[in-house]
Amino acid sequence: MRDGQIILEDVGVGYRIYREKVSTLKEAVANRFRHLRTAEKFWALRHVSLQIAPGEAIALVGHNGSGKSTLLKTVAGVLEPSEGAAVTLGRISPMIELGAGFDPELSGRDNVYLNGALLGFSRKQMSAKFQRIVDFSELGDFIDLPVKNYSSGMYARLGFAIAQDVEPDILIVDEVLAVGDERFQEKCKRRIQDFRSAGVTFVFVSHSLPTALELCPRAAVLHHGRLAFDGPTDAAWERYRELERGPAPGPVFQA
Amino acid sequence: MIEAAQRTRPEAVGSKAPALPQVARRPARIVELWRFRQLIGMLVVRELKVRYKRSVLGLLWTMLNPLLLMVVYAVVFTTIMPAAQPNFAVFLLAGLLPWLYFATSLMQGLMSVLVNQELVRKIRLPQAVFPLSVVGSNLVNFTLSFLPLFIMMAALRQPFTPALLFLPAAAVILTLFCAGVTLLFATATVFFRDVRHLTEVLLQMLLYLSPVLYDFRQLGEHRTWWFHLFRLELRINPLSYLIPLVRDPVYYGRLPSLPTLAVALLWAAGALLLGFAVFTRLEPRHIHHL
Repeated sequence: MRDGQIILEDVGVGYRIYREKVSTLKEAVANRFRHLRTAEKFWALRHVSLQIAPGEAIALVGHNGSGKSTLLKTVAGVLEPSEGAAVTLGRISPMIELGAGFDPELSGRDNVYLNGALLGFSRKQMSAKFQRIVDFSELGDFIDLPVKNYSSGMYARLGFAIAQDVEPDILIVDEVLAVGDERFQEKCKRRIQDFRSAGVTFVFVSHSLPTALELCPRAAVLHHGRLAFDGPTDAAWERYRELERGPAPGPVFQA
Repeated sequence: MIEAAQRTRPEAVGSKAPALPQVARRPARIVELWRFRQLIGMLVVRELKVRYKRSVLGLLWTMLNPLLLMVVYAVVFTTIMPAAQPNFAVFLLAGLLPWLYFATSLMQGLMSVLVNQELVRKIRLPQAVFPLSVVGSNLVNFTLSFLPLFIMMAALRQPFTPALLFLPAAAVILTLFCAGVTLLFATATVFFRDVRHLTEVLLQMLLYLSPVLYDFRQLGEHRTWWFHLFRLELRINPLSYLIPLVRDPVYYGRLPSLPTLAVALLWAAGALLLGFAVFTRLEPRHIHHL
């Protein structure tokens, strides 16, 4: 196994749906924790097996609620699978949401260090990256302003600038390319291409066929939590379209 | 740039995945936490920065707070209802500072996972950093508030003795205890939001059930059953052993007794071990309850 490898083996992520909503101790005690026993499980993801080799690029496609985000979170280690096993080797740069973890009251500078620490980098390591990050974000002197005064474009630019400089083995991108102006988007795409040629594993959630084709030769289609297709991107897209035309079954509940 | 056809992948789709190798195991929680130790420091700094932002006096408030409190107590206990103890203000503050450290850490810390849920949902990190950083920022406050205490001691001619050198050790033991309890309550609050309100009430009761405003030795003897119960409670209460770690050096000018220190250490170590074990055990389930 090398850094950058992702193995999902029969992964299922179930959420408990409590028919009886209990969030206070009193209610829980009053009906003797029955809510725990009668809870139904909603499988956001089930029986998903995927192997992604180091340096591979894969796009995840699926309707809203198909389990794409759950899959990304499982790969990122935010969620632990309730069934099966998920293994990711190496450093993950989660661009699931750019600027997650920014504190609006702090300056851009402080947030760079804070965000670095959230990803497991020391102050010293971040100091070495700092100028590059500021340059990439094109924020200039704005870096010393509180982040709450940033425009949404500036916010996302700083977020991407940090995420692109953490030497990831695995890059997870959740449609962040829709941020910033067109020029900055191009810059982001070029950076991702750099990562691709440097052999970084790339997992990408997309609703746009052209972008997916441009970045990923392989795509996986998720449909109501199941893996419906895994193969070449254009074929995956056809399968996705086909599934979308079919009758949409409701969510699957199991007691 | 379409390379769909040249896809290079070793295994065919749908083939049974090989058994997961041992290397793939998650690192131990404690190792993971250690890797994120700098984050705790940064969260502490953030906390302090954000708290005192746009306040003219800034960090001075940390010191003004107990000072003003002391003025109130000094006035109350010297003129309105005179206390038996000499230098009662020093006595009181020496008990209140560790109490406030504990109570504030706990109240802020038990909400810390919920407050930071946006991060918990998005970034994989040891969630213990949140309660621990709350304890850390309160440790800074606790340490700083000794300055006004010392000023007060000088003003009231309370002698400074070498026993004061024990205070850093007292701070360490208190911190371990606060960290353990806060971790335990932080994870409980994720599952039951009531814990917050319950703790609020319990802390108010605990203030009077612990030797903060009075001393174990001043109790005297009563022959009622509830007094015996109270004595028993004081013997069990960890704060009966933790508060003297600060008060003995500051007010009585001596080191805490060895049994007191031993029990305090036991409580601190026990609380930390239990808190950390329970927290890390339940941590993966937090995300479903946020």
